[in-house]
Amino acid sequence: MAASNSTGIQTLLEAEKEASKIVQKARTYRVQRLKDARAEAAKEIEELKASKNEAFKNFEQEHAGSSDQTSHRVEVETEQKRVEIEAAFAKNREAVLHKLLDTVFAVEPKIHPNARFN
Amino acid sequence: MSFNKALNDEEVFSEMRKMVAFIKQEALEKAREIKVKADEEFNIEKAKLVRQEAINIDAAFQRKVKQADVQRRIAQSNNINKSRMTLLLTRQQMLDDLFAESRTQLLTVTKDPARYEKFLSDSILQSFFRLLETEVTIQYRMADKALIDKLLPGVKARYEEATQQTVDVQFLGDHLPADGAGGVIVAGNGGRTKCNNTPEARLAILEEDMLPLVRDMLFGQSPNRRFFN
Repeated sequence: MAASNSTGIQTLLEAEKEASKIVQKARTYRVQRLKDARAEAAKEIEELKASKNEAFKNFEQEHAGSSDQTSHRVEVETEQKRVEIEAAFAKNREAVLHKLLDTVFAVEPKIHPNARFN
Repeated sequence: MSFNKALNDEEVFSEMRKMVAFIKQEALEKAREIKVKADEEFNIEKAKLVRQEAINIDAAFQRKVKQADVQRRIAQSNNINKSRMTLLLTRQQMLDDLFAESRTQLLTVTKDPARYEKFLSDSILQSFFRLLETEVTIQYRMADKALIDKLLPGVKARYEEATQQTVDVQFLGDHLPADGAGGVIVAGNGGRTKCNNTPEARLAILEEDMLPLVRDMLFGQSPNRRFFN
């Protein structure tokens, strides 16, 4: 009977060993899963970044176009106004010169209203 | 099954098998629990990491967009400022040219004897009225000496009539430049108070004081102007 007892215990010990191997494999799996989580998250994040950068580039391109347009428009308007100024000057110059000269030489001698003589 | 008698080999065997199976079963169940929990944690961890970064990425994107917008507005403002500057410079240049021209044109009136004589006479009187001194000195162009000698008595008479005061006029040896537009500089109070009544000095005053009128004559009223007093 002693012989069969030790065989029995042997069997049970082996069964325990197998059991702990099974559990160990599950734990290893768990550790691996956590690593996977990080790796997959990182990948998804990179994809998000890339797509946002794309979106930003598109946004920039649209607006780069529009700001060039506005600056060009401003230039054109400025030139127009400048030409208008020069034209107005040319037209009214003589009149202004005449007025200036007349005023320089138009003298009205007057005594100060508050002056008193002792 | 009773433990009153010893088990026979078959029963031992059967019990052994049951125990082994039990141990294995427990192990499998535990392993399954661990795996299930592992998968859950996987999902939670991954979602957490992604969400955290997604917030940062979005924030960075917003910042970039805003900055681009700010740049654009700065550029626009600079453009407008540049434009205004150009126009202001143009106007200023035109005005400068205009006044320069007017300075040369002063001579045309100076050379007109009738106009110049009246101007000289009135401007000397005006200077006397400004100073209201009993003793003055007078500076003039050498070429005008004769004319002034001729006009001075009449001017003094007008002065005395208006103020009931006399004025003594001394001629200074320091003459005005011959190529100038003429006129006089009358000084009183020991030469400390000067009344510069030359056409050049008068024009200089006008260059500032007449700007609103000049603007009006050249460009018309500003469309945005609201106060006219």
